[in-house]
Amino acid sequence: MSSYDNAELLALWLEDNLTPEQRNIFEQRCVQDDDFAQQVEAASTIKLHADGYQDFDVPQWDRGKTFDCQERGSSQERANSQERVDSRNPFEYSARRQRWAWLPSVSFAMSALAIVLVLTGTQVSLTSGELRIRFGHEQSQLAMSKLIDSKLDTFKQNQQEAFSLYAQTLQQQQLESASQLTNYLLTSSRKERREDFAELIKFVNQQRSDDQLFYARQLNQLQQDVYLDANGIKVDGTQQ
Amino acid sequence: MFEKSDEQLIEKALKGQKKAWFSLLKRYEKPVYHYGLRMTGNNADALDLMQDVFISVFRNLSSYRNEGSFKGWLFRIAHYRCIEFYRRKRPQQGLDDAPEIPCTAQPAEQLIENTQRNAQLVSAMQQLPLAQKSVVELKFFGHFTFEEIAQQTGMSVNTAKSRLYGALAKLKTLMEVDYVEL
Repeated sequence: MSSYDNAELLALWLEDNLTPEQRNIFEQRCVQDDDFAQQVEAASTIKLHADGYQDFDVPQWDRGKTFDCQERGSSQERANSQERVDSRNPFEYSARRQRWAWLPSVSFAMSALAIVLVLTGTQVSLTSGELRIRFGHEQSQLAMSKLIDSKLDTFKQNQQEAFSLYAQTLQQQQLESASQLTNYLLTSSRKERREDFAELIKFVNQQRSDDQLFYARQLNQLQQDVYLDANGIKVDGTQQ
Repeated sequence: MFEKSDEQLIEKALKGQKKAWFSLLKRYEKPVYHYGLRMTGNNADALDLMQDVFISVFRNLSSYRNEGSFKGWLFRIAHYRCIEFYRRKRPQQGLDDAPEIPCTAQPAEQLIENTQRNAQLVSAMQQLPLAQKSVVELKFFGHFTFEEIAQQTGMSVNTAKSRLYGALAKLKTLMEVDYVEL
């Protein structure tokens, strides 16, 4: 069975929106479902009646009431109304709207003027009671040279300050490095001298030791020479 | 020769031209009157409802934003005025309730000097609940789509479809009864 319910199918049929598939289902349902067939028949009948309905002219009525009823419209009626009722009289509203009708055009004109002023680079200056309006982005030569001079002065001052600071810093750094170098040199020379002296003392001590050894040998030799006689014979007593 | 559009007439009416407003009113008074006639089943009530509708349209004319057709907007107001009319007349009756009090005023059938079928249909419609009656009215006489009906009446499309389906079953029975009585 299809997923279309009877109300849906009937609605589609009434609006003549049935697809071929839906039309098949619709026709099958008309054959198989008596209730649905009767509903379709009723819809056709009512549609026929509605199409054949001959309407006649509206009886005379007070159309003007739709204008002047605005003032005396009952408030209770308004309160009970489900729709959103704007209590403003449209004519009153339009009159109010006309009163401010100039505002959008003035607003537009002002916006356009502002855009033109920005695009043309208009400059307004008030100097000692004199109003000047200048168009274009180019400034006068004098103003430009003044501006350049002032910029250059500022730049020069800044550069000088920077150079003096740099020189000062460099001098300080040089002093520091010189003192460091001096300290280093002093320290290293002291150390070297100490090492030289140590070497010297060592050498002297060695020399002295050699001298002592030499002198000891000399003395021994002398001793031997003293205790030997002229013939070279050893004196006994002395030998013992 | 050259008929002005609804939008042009509305614009002029908003500028204060009564003539434009009357032109707009004359263009739509007939469908609104007959809508009222079929919805109320009574000439006096139809005239009252029509006046109510046009007063409300006039008040809200400045809020019309050209979204959708003017006719659709007009009939939405007509629908709500009709609900209001029924509430005033029978405060306890719901939209889906069947009418309890038969219409005692001058029947519409007498005024509609048309075929007997018209009278039969209008008579049968008067016995439908308001919610079903408005869907039948807007679908068969107003020739609106279900989406438009849903927008105008504030119900969903599916509800509109099922209400029409339910209304058809009732109308069929009612018209059969009338036919037998006739």
